[in-house]
Amino acid sequence: MSEAVVPPRALWVPFPLGRPLGVVDDSEFQKSVMRTAFGLLDTATEPTIEDYEIQAPGEGLSENWSCPLNLSTQSSGSLTDRLLAEVALLRPWAIETRRQRGRTLFGASGAGEDQVDELARAFASIAETGEVTSAPVVVDVAWAFDMPLLARHIADDLRCFYHEALAAQPGDTAPNHDALNRWIFGETVLGEALLLVADGLTKASDSPMAQLVRGLLIPEGHYRGGSAFPEETNFPINPGT
Amino acid sequence: MVRLSDLHPVEAEHLSMRALAMPAVGPGEWITPRPLDQATVAIVSTAGLHRRIDPPFTVGSLDYRLIPGDTEFDDLVLSHISANFDRSAFGEDPNIVFPIDRLREFASSGEVGGVARWHYSFMGAMPDPSQFEKAGEEIGRLMAQDGVDIAFLVPI
Repeated sequence: MSEAVVPPRALWVPFPLGRPLGVVDDSEFQKSVMRTAFGLLDTATEPTIEDYEIQAPGEGLSENWSCPLNLSTQSSGSLTDRLLAEVALLRPWAIETRRQRGRTLFGASGAGEDQVDELARAFASIAETGEVTSAPVVVDVAWAFDMPLLARHIADDLRCFYHEALAAQPGDTAPNHDALNRWIFGETVLGEALLLVADGLTKASDSPMAQLVRGLLIPEGHYRGGSAFPEETNFPINPGT
Repeated sequence: MVRLSDLHPVEAEHLSMRALAMPAVGPGEWITPRPLDQATVAIVSTAGLHRRIDPPFTVGSLDYRLIPGDTEFDDLVLSHISANFDRSAFGEDPNIVFPIDRLREFASSGEVGGVARWHYSFMGAMPDPSQFEKAGEEIGRLMAQDGVDIAFLVPI
């Protein structure tokens, strides 16, 4: 993609998506990446894409990670009840991460930082009813998006809560992106709800936006074994919803 | 950018298809800025990063968000629409996406002349990058007025 854009000076880095500076909490590694990029100011005389040769240390990211918590303690009941039970199991760990960091990424959907249960109920409602056009009504939440895009951001906030819960748990290894997705879609009620919401979006076949949002909801490779994007995906420009 | 071989095969195929379909954008005017130790640097992110008080990005957003240089990390969120990158790293250390602390350290040590007062954020995932031309030129003018010599673009 950089080749198509022809930036004046670009450093290609071999790090996972979401980690452009390579390693979290490693200021020297991050600065080494930046120094190499800035070095192109002295060496490049025409549009240049240089490879960064240094691999990021593993930093405990594991393909073979498994969650120490047994989240399947409640296998019966409504999706809402089971999702709330799962959230309750994860809550102490998420609280611990927020306490340690003094911040959270939760809330892009418009929900307050402590409205995790409200979001879980809203997301389970979308999953159970298949309603992807009208926003769920939640007291004291001013949604930042309209449906169906809202469903994707509610899901993102819940995923953020799950990530925060995992971050505080003991142990030196953390899941890489693929292991995290395999856990969510293979072992959690949230994963079950995500696929049901995706199915609801599929059924809204007269809405191109709903089909697009399915691809923005489910990471590639985790929707029924394939791509969640419709075959012909066109990203509209400022389409509203 | 990640190696395609490190991605889920479905995502690798999707990105490869998008890269092939991406219309080429010609090179811009070649500019040699002043030496780094005399230059002011601004960060331009494409991570869909913004302050909580700002409107979130949406599908097809071509606009940008202003990030003042003194913004606290607990005031920053991501509303990038893609489900295909790992947000947990940003949650753990925002500098991995928005390396403002690293820039300040460079400025303190003298490696960089200074840190801009304002930084900027877009949302990537746009198949036709030429659509950003108008907003790009706008922040170019703003950065020039802010005394910025170098834009450090950090894609997600």
